[in-house]
Amino acid sequence: MPSSEAGTDLKVVGKRLPRVDARERVTGEAIYPADLALPGMAYARILRSPLAHARIRRIDTSRAAGLKGVLAIVTAADFPELPVGATIPMGETGYDMWMVAQLNMARGKVLWVGQPVAAVAAVDPHIAEAALALIAVDYEPLAPVLDIAAAIAPDAPVLHEHVLTKGVEPHPRAPSNVCSRTVIARGDAARALEQAPATARLSVKVDTAHQGYLEPPVVVAQVDANGFATVWASTQGQFTAELMTARMLGMPLSQIRVVPLEVGGAFGGKIAIHGEAVAVRLAQLCRRPVKLVLTREEVLQGGTGPAAAARIDIAVGADREGRLLAIDGTYRLDAGGLPGLSPSLVMQASAALYQCPNLNLQGFDVVTNKPRTEAYRGPGGIQAAFAMEQAMDALCQRLDLDPLEFRKRNASVTGSTMPIGTPFPTIGLTSVLDRVGRHPCWTDALPKGRFPRGRGLAIGYWRGTSMTSAGHITVAGDGRPMVTMGPVDISGTRTTMAQVVAEEFGLSIGDVHVHTGDSKSVGYSDGAAGSRVARTTTAALVEACRDALSQLRLRAAEKLQCAPDQLDYAGGTFRARQPGGPAIGLSELMQATLADGAIVGRGVSTKLPLGVEIGAHVCDVEVDTDTGLVTVLRYTAFQDVGRALNPAAVEGQVEGSVVQGLGWALTEGYDYGPDGRLRNASLLDYRMPTALDVPKIECVIIETPVPNVPYGVRGVGEVPIVPPAAAVANAIARATGVRMTHMPMTPERVLRALQEIR
Amino acid sequence: MQDFSYERPDSVEAAVAAMRDGEARALAGGTDLIAQLREGRRRAGRIVDLKWVPALTSIAALPDSGVLIGAAVSLSAVAQHAAVAADYPAVAQSARLIGSVQIQNRASLGGNICNAAPSADAVPALICHGARARVAGADGQREMAVEALFEGPGRTALEFGEILISILLPPPEPRSAATYLRFTPRREMDIAVAGVGTWLRLAVGGAVAAARVVLASVGPVPLRALSAETALIGEKPSPALFQEAGRLAAGDARPISDTRGSADYRRSLVAVLTRRALADCCARLDGRMEAL
Amino acid sequence: MKTLLMCTVNGEERTVLADTRDTLLELLRDRLGLTGTKEGCSNGNCGTCTVLVDGEPVCACLVLAQEAPGRDVMTIEALSAGGTLHPVQQALVEFGGTQCGFCTPGIALSAKALLDRNPHPSEPEIRHAIAGNLCRCTGYGKIVDAIAAVAARTQGR
Repeated sequence: MPSSEAGTDLKVVGKRLPRVDARERVTGEAIYPADLALPGMAYARILRSPLAHARIRRIDTSRAAGLKGVLAIVTAADFPELPVGATIPMGETGYDMWMVAQLNMARGKVLWVGQPVAAVAAVDPHIAEAALALIAVDYEPLAPVLDIAAAIAPDAPVLHEHVLTKGVEPHPRAPSNVCSRTVIARGDAARALEQAPATARLSVKVDTAHQGYLEPPVVVAQVDANGFATVWASTQGQFTAELMTARMLGMPLSQIRVVPLEVGGAFGGKIAIHGEAVAVRLAQLCRRPVKLVLTREEVLQGGTGPAAAARIDIAVGADREGRLLAIDGTYRLDAGGLPGLSPSLVMQASAALYQCPNLNLQGFDVVTNKPRTEAYRGPGGIQAAFAMEQAMDALCQRLDLDPLEFRKRNASVTGSTMPIGTPFPTIGLTSVLDRVGRHPCWTDALPKGRFPRGRGLAIGYWRGTSMTSAGHITVAGDGRPMVTMGPVDISGTRTTMAQVVAEEFGLSIGDVHVHTGDSKSVGYSDGAAGSRVARTTTAALVEACRDALSQLRLRAAEKLQCAPDQLDYAGGTFRARQPGGPAIGLSELMQATLADGAIVGRGVSTKLPLGVEIGAHVCDVEVDTDTGLVTVLRYTAFQDVGRALNPAAVEGQVEGSVVQGLGWALTEGYDYGPDGRLRNASLLDYRMPTALDVPKIECVIIETPVPNVPYGVRGVGEVPIVPPAAAVANAIARATGVRMTHMPMTPERVLRALQEIR
Repeated sequence: MQDFSYERPDSVEAAVAAMRDGEARALAGGTDLIAQLREGRRRAGRIVDLKWVPALTSIAALPDSGVLIGAAVSLSAVAQHAAVAADYPAVAQSARLIGSVQIQNRASLGGNICNAAPSADAVPALICHGARARVAGADGQREMAVEALFEGPGRTALEFGEILISILLPPPEPRSAATYLRFTPRREMDIAVAGVGTWLRLAVGGAVAAARVVLASVGPVPLRALSAETALIGEKPSPALFQEAGRLAAGDARPISDTRGSADYRRSLVAVLTRRALADCCARLDGRMEAL
Repeated sequence: MKTLLMCTVNGEERTVLADTRDTLLELLRDRLGLTGTKEGCSNGNCGTCTVLVDGEPVCACLVLAQEAPGRDVMTIEALSAGGTLHPVQQALVEFGGTQCGFCTPGIALSAKALLDRNPHPSEPEIRHAIAGNLCRCTGYGKIVDAIAAVAARTQGR
């Protein structure tokens, strides 16, 4: 049996193989929810709040209901009211269901422009759209708070009467827009900073950005004659979606099934439901299948949650040799209209890679009358790195110390104390930094150009999560493994899991069929998020393979008339150990034992030891000092992936994630007007990078396996978005002497910063 | 979207007849109109598809030089036409900046003009070349300078029931060249934050005999930067001259602040783009200028 | 309002009952069931809905269905004739040029149109040809590699 600890004799795992599902993508045959057309299907649209903050006095749907072709209309009144504090299980911490319900249908109050207030199902999309205009909502406008500063001001209007700031002593009694205060500290950072021979301070502002997936969320819901609901969704987690949908509807879990279809990009933005429960309720009311569609404008303007804006202050101090003495950080994250965004992971991530005796990190999440934020690849990481990695770089400049050398001098290693006090598991930061130092991207001189050029370095860390992943393997009549995996594939995991199972079975990848189960056909699995799927599903499926193979072994032993432990298995065949002994292949074995019942190997992984992610990025830029335009000339991302199950898949994750980071670094940012409405709610003015805006991203893979987990795999997909903004900012600083403190670093902001130092 | 009827006239006369009332909207490439209809920014009861009128879809070099471009010819076809590329590279250059390949395969000069966005990228180069517009209406046809068409954001001088049929690029003058440069945060897809078209004609001795500096996105209509033009005339081209012209052009600009840029930033860009465009014109003229 | 349209789609004459307000995108996806063309923004800003009209890439969301009669429309469904992948499709598979797959049909058609016109494009020409097709997953690198590989394979022919 191939060992998952084996290094060099792997035959399928570690190979650069094409995706098993690439063909249907290049032919357009891959099915996303928008592609479904069910007989009698109705079309639904959502009515959204035009105001950033208001009480809903009354909703009059009568005129809309009278429009010919309108089949059903719902508001919050059509859903049970959930109490504050209602949660659904998710991983170790659960997920705020009261918040999810508000995200999907406002109750009593609207908290951002674009929050849903009603939904209509009609016989065709034009009628659905026309009906929206006929729903009359009587709002009592309230003063909105549109940024962190306004939200924490003493007389700020309070969004939620029930929110009392957590983590503050004595416990407050008056409600606040500050939902929580988190502190991570050790030593005495204030004194150490005061006494440090060299210090650097930076305060940054980061604008809201969106995950920018190309597929707007679409949900199709159908309720059968017995009231059983099926939901087809573009979702990161069919079980999470099912839990949320059932809870919002007040429906038993046994009455609903969520089928995950292809996902046209998610990146954290499709963990919460956006319309699933609404679509089911409409389907129940009109007794037809319902397709609920979000337009791109809705996606951007409050229909789905973008990533958090932030204000972060960092101060760092070091001795004259560049050894860190203190890090002080204040992290303020803009949660949007609903609470539930903890800054803790972000705070830890920004400081974790540095050995530093004195830390004082304080984090706040603040609600504002803007779309409720959701996760976006290592949520909070890129914002925090923009501050921290620039502060470190400024410190290097002050000490005239090479930034790579500085990182090496202060690098956390296996066993170093993490900010929360626990020791670091096995990590390879030093290996990563060594590779940077030996690579041409670092050793090549920066070629001269028409305008100033600079090179920036930034490192990044993301912890990721494990949670639960399940899967099972049945063996087909021809002996081939058929895998049903629980976690949704948003990063190429159907392919990498096919590789793992092929490796375990000693077969080729073409012999393995992989499929994602729906919420009733596979074991419970948490959503695809937190860089957890490849690692944990590997563990679950390795267990499932061993289970299946041991069942097969028993059958083979019976057929070959020998003891099970006298059989060897390799490459699809069981062979009796004695020379010339009998053998039987999987196909023959299955055919001979069809009447003995199915072979089903099961596996589950829960709370797998973490495979934390570490990356170091090097970026060369040219700054047009007349216009402020920044061109990224060269970009190299170094990342420790533990073991690359498939180098092409790893590179794809890294390259895509880096380009997302470059987009937020340079051109992507929400532009809110004074009324809380987005002024750039289109892909014309919400500027994501095109193929002409970025160079080829080079990805260098380092492998420091995680001990004691199958194949030693680490998470991959989140950390690459963490360093880019800082890497670009550090390069700009080296090129021009300017420290950019507002992200995105648009040409106008760069030019203004240049003009200020002239 | 409001419902509409759709017509395909096959002659100028039929097209004019179809445009007879306020319900009608002309459709060439549709890249502005269809987006606007969908967003409710424009309404149409009757859509008149001009792409089946031969006069509007032909493009031809004229016998004594000059090019006649049908108003509905795609920007791609304009940019690829041999005579345009050879004699009016600024027009080809502008056409290639708008939107993306997909947009350029549909959008037209006529549409870019008649949509009359202050940021219209095809317009400055046309004005620089002294392009003439031919307009047809119920009372017959008339001709005017393209420059005279713009009355305000989204508004042209076209009367009720008139359509733009064609754009004439007059024969290029000797010792002249034009350039259009614009600034966008991304290298494709964006609307210009500012754009500058420049045209220079040099006298035999090398001094500037005539100049046009046309600004996009910094006023309600494409603007002639007259003080910049005045400063150029009679002078020998030099970096210092172009720097000064840029400074003056920035003063002539009347930008607003919006989501794409502040007024101050736009003024800065006008100065830079004017200077660079003028240098580029000289480079095209084989004047011994450094392109900076 | 309903209208009957006769169009040539993927080389076939089709008679379709459409709404007068339909875009070509809605005609293809909702009336003809050709769901290979995807919808990303419906405003011509992402290129996801790219199809070929008379051989040229356009955004189907900015073409009216009523403009289709008299034109040749090609969608992704026609790119793999008889089940054999077009070289661009094959290369996207081999080089990892597709992840979530949502931009892929549009990109494949933009790439095909480029190579039909310019069989040996430079990298900047490749990037320019797909600059109207946003991709959020790949960072474009492997897409460009795939298209360049197709060009290299036909070198010298």
